[in-house]
Amino acid sequence: MNTQTPVNLQGNHACALGAIAAGCTFYAGYPITPSSEIAEHMARELPKVGGVFIQMEDEIASMAAVTGASMGGARAMTATSGPGFSLKQENLGLAAMMEAPCVVVDVMRGGPSTGMPTRPSQSDVMQARWGSHGDRPVIAIAPASVPEVYAETIRAFSLAERLRTPVILLVDEVIGHLVETVTLHEPDEAEKGARKWAEGSREGFLPYAITEDGIPPMPRPGDGYRAHATGLTHGENGFPTQKPEEVARVMNRLLGKIEKHRDIIDKWECVDCEDAEILVVAIGISARAARAAVREARSRGIPAGLFRPITLWPFPEEAAKRAAANARTVIVPEMNAGQLVLEVERVLGCGRNVRPVNRIDGEPVAPAEILQAIEEAKA
Amino acid sequence: MNERADPQKLPRDGSFEIRDWLRLELMPHFMCPGCGHGIALRALLWALDELGIDKDKLAVVSGIGCSGRTAAYIDANTFHVTHGRPLAFATGLKLARPDLTVIVISGDGDSLAIGGNHFLHACRRNLDMTLILLNNEIYGMTGGQVSPTTTADRFTTTTPFGNNEPVFDACEVAKAAGATFVGREATLQTPNLKDLLKHAVAHHGFSMVEVISDCTEIYGRKNDLGNSPEMILAQKSGMRPEAYRNTVDQPFRPNPFRTGVLHRGDRQEYLDAYRARVQAVQAAKGGGK
Amino acid sequence: MTETTVNETASAGASGEKTVAERPTNVLIVGVGGQGVIMVSKVLATLAQAAGNQVKQSEVHGMAKRGGAVFSHVRFGRKVFSPTIPRGEADVLLALEWAEGLRWLPYLNRARGVFIADTQRIVPPFACRNRADGAPLGYSRETPKDILAKVRTGYALNATGIAESLGNRRAANTVLLGVLSTALDFAEKDWLKVIESFVPPKTVEVNRAAFLKGREWAERHADVGLDEDVDFSLPSPPAVEPKRPQVFIERAWCKSCDICVKMCPERCLELDEKNIARMKAPERCTGCRLCEYLCPDFAIRVLRLPAGDSQQEVRP
Repeated sequence: MNTQTPVNLQGNHACALGAIAAGCTFYAGYPITPSSEIAEHMARELPKVGGVFIQMEDEIASMAAVTGASMGGARAMTATSGPGFSLKQENLGLAAMMEAPCVVVDVMRGGPSTGMPTRPSQSDVMQARWGSHGDRPVIAIAPASVPEVYAETIRAFSLAERLRTPVILLVDEVIGHLVETVTLHEPDEAEKGARKWAEGSREGFLPYAITEDGIPPMPRPGDGYRAHATGLTHGENGFPTQKPEEVARVMNRLLGKIEKHRDIIDKWECVDCEDAEILVVAIGISARAARAAVREARSRGIPAGLFRPITLWPFPEEAAKRAAANARTVIVPEMNAGQLVLEVERVLGCGRNVRPVNRIDGEPVAPAEILQAIEEAKA
Repeated sequence: MNERADPQKLPRDGSFEIRDWLRLELMPHFMCPGCGHGIALRALLWALDELGIDKDKLAVVSGIGCSGRTAAYIDANTFHVTHGRPLAFATGLKLARPDLTVIVISGDGDSLAIGGNHFLHACRRNLDMTLILLNNEIYGMTGGQVSPTTTADRFTTTTPFGNNEPVFDACEVAKAAGATFVGREATLQTPNLKDLLKHAVAHHGFSMVEVISDCTEIYGRKNDLGNSPEMILAQKSGMRPEAYRNTVDQPFRPNPFRTGVLHRGDRQEYLDAYRARVQAVQAAKGGGK
Repeated sequence: MTETTVNETASAGASGEKTVAERPTNVLIVGVGGQGVIMVSKVLATLAQAAGNQVKQSEVHGMAKRGGAVFSHVRFGRKVFSPTIPRGEADVLLALEWAEGLRWLPYLNRARGVFIADTQRIVPPFACRNRADGAPLGYSRETPKDILAKVRTGYALNATGIAESLGNRRAANTVLLGVLSTALDFAEKDWLKVIESFVPPKTVEVNRAAFLKGREWAERHADVGLDEDVDFSLPSPPAVEPKRPQVFIERAWCKSCDICVKMCPERCLELDEKNIARMKAPERCTGCRLCEYLCPDFAIRVLRLPAGDSQQEVRP
C-alpha cells in the first residue's frame, strides 16, 4: 500500500494497519463484536510480514498468549470489547507484573454484561484503570478519529515497548466502525520505539533491577540470562519475596516508572482553552461532539473550550489544570453513567462546578446536549 | 550459595547431576517432605540432560499451585504465570519463539479445572510443546481442597463427607482432544518416567505426560494413606483403583492405572501447518481468502 | 536351589518299594512357561491311556507368559490312586530347562530313575538379585557331568540346539519326547501318531523329525548320556571396572521424609538423631541409586567412583 496516498479506512482496520506498521509480529484474539475486524485484518496481514496470528480458545487465553509472546520478544497485540476486556483483566495484571510490553485494544460497547454488542459506549473508562486487581501501572489511550487510531496504535506500541508495560487502546464503537480518510505514514525506528534488552554480563544479572529510568532491561530468552518471571510479587532477582522493604522498593519502582515518563506518555488536545470560562472535558466520539458544541458556543459569544485527553490514563492532570485555569464550570460529556467525571472532579473539582452529561442508551452524546449544558452553565 | 552445594567442587562419576540444572541459591526447595513433585522434577531435568537440551534455549512455563512453584528451581528461562493459563501463555511464547524448547509444568487443578479449556485446545492444536501434568489429586497449596482427580470417597477440606464426584482421566481427555503424544507414569518409577519424558519432549507436536505424584502432608495424612514411603510404594500396588476403574485390565492382573505411552498420533505440527498454508496460498494468490 | 539330597532319595527308595507290576510309572515333566511342558505331558498321558493304562496327570501352570516355573506329574499303570508323585518316586524326570531339572532332582528315584534334561538355560530374574558390580550369577554352576554322576541313567542334551538345527527351536520338547521314548515301553509309531495329533498341522513334519532325532540321539548316547563336546560353561558377568558406590547426603536439603530409608533394597540408610538421612551400612550399598532417584529433595547423590578413588565430599 502506498503510504503517502490517503485511503478510506474503518477505525478497526486502521488499528490493524497501525499495529503492522509499528512492527507487531504476534496477535492472539477471540471473536467479539465490535472488535472482530481487527482480528480479521491481523489474520490476513500478519503472515505477510512473517508474524503469527492465532485465534485462541477464549479471551483469557488470548491475553495469556500475548503475554507469553511478548516475554519471548515479540511485539504483541490483542483486541476485544467490554465483556472480553473483563476476562482479560487477569492476565493484563500478569503482563503488568511481569512487565511484558503489549497492546490491548478495547472497542467499547454497551454494558453491563452482554449489554448492547453493536451499540457504542464509553463505559470501560474505569475498567481500563482499575479493572485488574491490585495496584498496577496503567497507560490507556483514547483516540477520537480514524487517523488518530492509526497514529495512536503506533504510539501505543512505542510506549509499551519502551516502558515494558501493557498499553490499552480505548476506542469506542463509533470510532472503531467509523470510516475516514487516513494517510498511512510509515513510522521510523525512533517512532516505533525499541525495547530495552539486557546486554552484558550474565553473572549477577537482575531481571527486575531498579534502574535510573525505572525500566529494567529485559532478558531475551536464548541470550543466556535464564531469568525467572512470575506473577508473584518479586524482588529485583525475579524471585518471589514478601520482605516488606523489598516489596515496597520494587512496587514503587513498578508504579513509579509511569510517573517518571509522563513526558512521553501524556498527550492531550486543547481547543480554545486559554480564556475558556466553561471547559468541556471529553474523550473519543464525545470529544468530537464537544468540539462542535464549543465552536457553536464560541460563535454565540460564550467563552467555552475543550480539553481532550488523548492519553486517558494516567490522566494528564497538569495539562488539565492549565487548560482549566480560567474555567468556572467544567462539563464532562460521556457515554456512561459518569466515570471520567470522577477523575475530572478529583483534578479540577476544587473551586469549580463540574457537571456531567451522560448517555447510557447506546446513543452518542449529541453536540446540542453539550451546547445546552454550556448555555446552562453560562446562565 | 554454600560451598558444599557448588557443583563445580563436587566429585563426579559422569552420571546425571541435578545440580547442573538447579538454581542452587533457591535450594532447598519449598515443597513438603516426601512430595512427589521433587521426584518428577528430577525426572524432567534428567530427561532434558540426556536429550542434550540447551538451558539457554529452554523455556519452562508453570501455573499456580504446588506444581507451579517447581519451575522456579530450574536454571532456565522460567515463567510462573496465572492459575490455569500456562498452556495459553506457552502457546504465545512458542509461536513467537519456535527456537525455544517449551515445557509446561501444571497440576491437576491447574490444567483440568481452571485451565481445562486451555488443556483441551492445546491438545487439539498440536503446537510443539510438552505438558507435564503433576497429578497429586489435590489442591495442596491452598490447603487440600478436592480436585478433578481426587479419588472417589476421599476426604479433603472441601469434601468433609467424602468426595462424590467422578474423576477426570487426564490421558483419556487428552487423547480425545487430539493430543499426538499421551503418556502416564508414576514417580516411583523414576527412570521410566525419565524415559517417557524424553520421548515426550522429543516428540514434534503437543505431548502430554501425566505424572502420578503424591501429596503426603495434606492428602495422604487426611486419608490415612500412610507416610511418604508407604504412599510411593502404593503407586505400584494400585493406590488409585477407584480413580481408574474404567481403564482396561491387562490379561494377568487388573491394572489400576496404565502407564507408559498410551497414545501417539501423527498429525502435522501446528506451526508447520500454519507456515505451509500461508506459503502455499501466498505463492498461489499473493494473499489470504 | 540345587540341593541334590542323595541320602534322602536313597532312604525314600529303600522304604515301601512296590513290585514293578503293581507300581505305576511316574514321569515328572518340568520346565518354564512357554517351553511346552503341558504338551509333553498330554502326549504321554494320551499315549499311556491308549495303551490301556489308568492315567493321572496334574500340573501347575499359568505363569506361562512370564517364564515362570511349570511342572506336570504324569502317573500311569494298572491302578493309580494319587495324582502326584511322592518325593523320590519319579521313574523319569524330564526337564525342559536345566536348572528346573536340578531343582526337581529330589523327586527322582535314584535306584531306577532316568534323568533327561535339555542343557538349555533360561536364567530367571531371581538369579540376578545381587546388584553389586561383577557379582556372580545365582544360577546353578553344576555341569551335566556332575549331575549325571549322581543318577543311575541320565541324558543331558542340547535339545534346543537340535530343534534349532531342524528349523524350529520350539520343537525342543519333541526332541526330549524322542529321548523319553527310549525309556518307556511304547512303540515308536504310537508315539508319532499321538504327537502328530497334538502339534499344529504346519509343524507336523518338524516335530516328527525332532522326535526321531531325539530318539536316535538317546540310542547313540546310551552309554554316557551326553555330548562330550557340548560347551556348558556359564557366561561370566561382563567385566566391569570395580566401582565403589558412595552416597553423599546434603544434610541441609534433607526433609526427613524417610523414603530413602524405607526404599533402600539393602537397608543401608537410617535417620539420625536429628531425623536426617545417613548411611548406616555403606558396605552393603550396591550403588543402585534408588535413594537418589526417589529423594524428592535432591539431597542424595550416589557416585560410583573407581575403587581406588577416595574422593571426599567437600565440606566447608
